[in-house]
Amino acid sequence: MKILYLDTTSSFLYTAILEDNKVIAEVKEELGNNLSDYTLPRIEGMMKIKNISVDEIGKIIAVNGPGSFTGIRIGLTIAKTMAWAKNIPIIPISSLEAMALSSDANYDYVVPAIDARRNYLYASIYDAKNNNFVMNEQYINADTLNIALENLSKDSITFISNDKINVNYDVQPYDPKIEKIVGIVKDREPVNPHSIDANYLKMTEAEEKQKEELN
Amino acid sequence: MKDMYILAIESSCDETSCAIVKNGCEDIATVILSQIDIHTNFGGVVPEIASRHHLKNITMVIEECLKKSKLTMDEIDAIAVTYGPGLIGSLLVGVEAAKTLAMVYNKPLIPVHHIAGHIYANNLTKKMEYPLLALVVSGGHTELVYMKDEYQFEKLGETLDDAIGETYDKVARVIGVGYPGGPVIDKMAQEGVHEYNLPLPLNDNSYNFSFSGLKSAVINLAHNYEQRDVELNKANLAKSFQDVVIETITKKTLKALKDNDIKRMIISGGVAANKSLREGLKKVCEENGIECSYPDLKYCTDNATMIGAAGYFAYKKGITADSNLNAKSSLSLV
Repeated sequence: MKILYLDTTSSFLYTAILEDNKVIAEVKEELGNNLSDYTLPRIEGMMKIKNISVDEIGKIIAVNGPGSFTGIRIGLTIAKTMAWAKNIPIIPISSLEAMALSSDANYDYVVPAIDARRNYLYASIYDAKNNNFVMNEQYINADTLNIALENLSKDSITFISNDKINVNYDVQPYDPKIEKIVGIVKDREPVNPHSIDANYLKMTEAEEKQKEELN
Repeated sequence: MKDMYILAIESSCDETSCAIVKNGCEDIATVILSQIDIHTNFGGVVPEIASRHHLKNITMVIEECLKKSKLTMDEIDAIAVTYGPGLIGSLLVGVEAAKTLAMVYNKPLIPVHHIAGHIYANNLTKKMEYPLLALVVSGGHTELVYMKDEYQFEKLGETLDDAIGETYDKVARVIGVGYPGGPVIDKMAQEGVHEYNLPLPLNDNSYNFSFSGLKSAVINLAHNYEQRDVELNKANLAKSFQDVVIETITKKTLKALKDNDIKRMIISGGVAANKSLREGLKKVCEENGIECSYPDLKYCTDNATMIGAAGYFAYKKGITADSNLNAKSSLSLV
């Protein structure tokens, strides 16, 4: 079975087609503000090179955030429209989980982190020995996160991030191991394409302001 | 030419809409999911919230439209989409969905300018004949567009600052009567008399409009009354404001019609739903022997049907796009 993987939640496009759990075509490209111009053409390009039609795609794995709000929506609109149109099972996965699963660094704790501006991060804490999250993903102040990590031995922790983030730990760049990510999530329960939605982890500013006023 | 069915998507502001239109004139099915109740809580459209709702609803709206049409994707000849101008995050959802549909079903993709859509909304009600002058009045636009022939646009004038619908919203907020301002003020004005003196904006020889001065005049008037602790008659203010708006619009429109010897005009856009404006223009046109028409009210506000109508004529002109089509927040019609 062929699987399409799609992640547009950062300034990078990460997309691949897998067959029998092996990547047969892949694009990892920094597109910045040009995600809308190139994401679909790159998917088409992969299919063309490998002579694959959309009808052969048996599953879509779509990264649904957190990250760039606009970027998330570009990839998810493509993924959910394709899944709906061709009745393809679709499985959403968090960008922070994809980051944690991609780490092969020899640390006890992996902290995937995405810059959310104003000294805030989208982050979680992954226990790499036990393969589970010891802090669920959240929109968190960088200082609060540093304090949360104080109880753990400093050498046992690494961050994963492609952003410039303000933390007191080693930071490894993120390079998705798409085969590994897909291998782990592909047998999860697919969701109805209509219900595919972004995992923003953060309300809009207008909603935050309204909430403050109500309090 | 064989019948052509276009599936169209519009998501430039706070309506997620999908429609199927036959031959650029027949509404086969239209679905519009309005977010107005959500944005009313914030006193106006919040772009990020609008984008979030578009993503959530896009495939459901398309599915609903197909169901309503009783057609299958095999019977659809092309996909049309609004690619600008508008809120970029909102536009992107429609554009990505349309591009994906075009790719998956191997159909031509037709990029449509939002204003071309508003203009061609008229073709759903009455076959458009040329040359004509189109007055486009909406929440984001106030423009006079000359069309010599089919799908040929020449912008004669536009607002130099706020759009007309925007001005209504702001005035409604200042006098505390809610959002959206257009329908509320139009209704209030029916019960008021022209009591307050407001300046006629940009009273010059151009075809351009300006509403920021008028808006400031209303705000200043309201503050002035408030400071003096005198109660303002809201209905009379609505009437005074709307009279000036209609005067400036009819004046500029009539000038454009006369200067260019155009005998037909159409009114388009959300503010075309404003009864007093429509009647004001109709009256002036009748007095000057000009044929004046406007779309059915349901096609005045944002909808995908008008995009399907415009898309047909764009396609006839050979306008198509590839999967690298991008949304544009600002985009010139010509």
